Amino acid sequence: MARKPTAGPTAAIVGSGATPYYFRGESAPQTLIELIDKAVLAALADAGLGIEDVDGLAFFAFGFDTGMIIEQLGLRNVTFAHCVSAFGGGMAGMLDLAEMAVETGRARTVVCIGATQQIGRRVGQALGNFAASPDNVFHRLAGLQGPGQALALQARRHCHEFGTRREAFAEVVMASRAAAATRETAFRRKPVTLDEYMAAPMLADPMCKFDFCLETDGALAFVVTSAERARDLPHKPVYIAGAAQHGSRDWGRAFFWLGQTAEAFVSAGGMDVSRRLYERTGMGADDIDVACLYDHFSPLVVMQLEDFGFCARGEGGPFVESGAIRLGGRIPVNPHGGHLSEAYVVGMTHIREAVEQLRGVAVNQVSGARTALVTGGPAPTPMTAAILTNAL
Amino acid sequence: MTRSITPDFSTFEVPMDTWSEPFWQAGARGETHMPRCLACGTFRWPAGPFCPECHTQPVEWVAAGQARLYSFTILPVRGAEPDAPPAWRIPALVEFDAAPGVRLVSVLVDADPAHVAIGDRVEVVWQPAASASVPLFRREDAE
Repeated sequence: MARKPTAGPTAAIVGSGATPYYFRGESAPQTLIELIDKAVLAALADAGLGIEDVDGLAFFAFGFDTGMIIEQLGLRNVTFAHCVSAFGGGMAGMLDLAEMAVETGRARTVVCIGATQQIGRRVGQALGNFAASPDNVFHRLAGLQGPGQALALQARRHCHEFGTRREAFAEVVMASRAAAATRETAFRRKPVTLDEYMAAPMLADPMCKFDFCLETDGALAFVVTSAERARDLPHKPVYIAGAAQHGSRDWGRAFFWLGQTAEAFVSAGGMDVSRRLYERTGMGADDIDVACLYDHFSPLVVMQLEDFGFCARGEGGPFVESGAIRLGGRIPVNPHGGHLSEAYVVGMTHIREAVEQLRGVAVNQVSGARTALVTGGPAPTPMTAAILTNAL
Repeated sequence: MTRSITPDFSTFEVPMDTWSEPFWQAGARGETHMPRCLACGTFRWPAGPFCPECHTQPVEWVAAGQARLYSFTILPVRGAEPDAPPAWRIPALVEFDAAPGVRLVSVLVDADPAHVAIGDRVEVVWQPAASASVPLFRREDAE
């Protein structure tokens, strides 16, 4: 049952911590657990809290060893340690878990963790990494090695059904670069022109090399506690207005399956979770000031804008081409440069940006931002998303 | 553009389970069959133990019918030699007129990438691999 929108937020992000971002593999010789520990300690310091305060952990399914984290950080009283069952699609659902823990008293101080270190394994070749099975044999015959190659099938279908142009994908990339230009943590800060975009080699037609996000290493962590306690901590609280999770066969295993309904096939899989998120928060697209959309591939930004109601189905192309997603546009998207230009840490950098925007300290600050949408990746269900706010 | 490649599947092993095995048995005869729920008639894919609509287990395997391209992508293929001519692999997703709801993904071989389009009629070509024959797609329309 949906929580009454009038109830008000019960939990808030009070600390944000990150390691530097590294090109794929260049975080070595640090280990993944070392990166995670560094991010957790930084987030706690930012929150004005200590390791002894931590009694909750929240993750999504991206391969962390919870026992090892507890052991190495020396945690002694963890009463809540839970994981959203989806991969990148579950990213924003961490905030749902944290909110639940705090709201029900299961834990008082929950640290949300996400990280990636791509040594020997590339996220971009995630489909090829799996052992051969009766279900994935067809992807192997097809030659679909990575999510981008499989999502190109959806991008082409979107172009076919709605007349979406490559210029729209280019605009997502150019807007992302324009944002990253001023951001020191971003790897791709040089502007891209439409001519450069159109001249780039195709990697998975209709997607060229610019449509693929970075593959980088890093770890981020966020400290969540009750809204009441948040007011006594150093930073302006960033309240979790609401988070939602939703799984449906209509989207299913997404690009691992390719059997989505015809309607879902030309979406980013966010239609149901979007509806649920807006129901839970009593908000709609018009209430969002900045959108941090999971941009592993540029066409999926176009589709998420449709899923989350910023424009109608099929109109994402003309919408972005109008300049709507630029700073100062109708809905600024990823003012930090996102996965396409800043760094890729499985969506975690989007929460960091949302926190910075709502604290009012972002590098590319959206003037007067009060609400931020954060989405998990278009990937196997359940899909997740959250709305953060600095206003009660 | 050069025509799309036909990958070498001579060492390709096909993992099967009890639900998918009939698909490969039909393929050994050069036929493309899909599993249809015995109770409600809903096709399920991949082949699995339950009908997602009515949760009945048994299926009957029926001829899938005419295949058409639902979507595809074109991947550059790196040659063994640095100066090898550009080559292309075309992963393709097809739907069948007699098996609604099923989409099968495999590789579209021997096609001109510049002339492939959504909606094209394709035939399923069964090619011997290591442990079974595997389904590949070929455009029916003359180029």
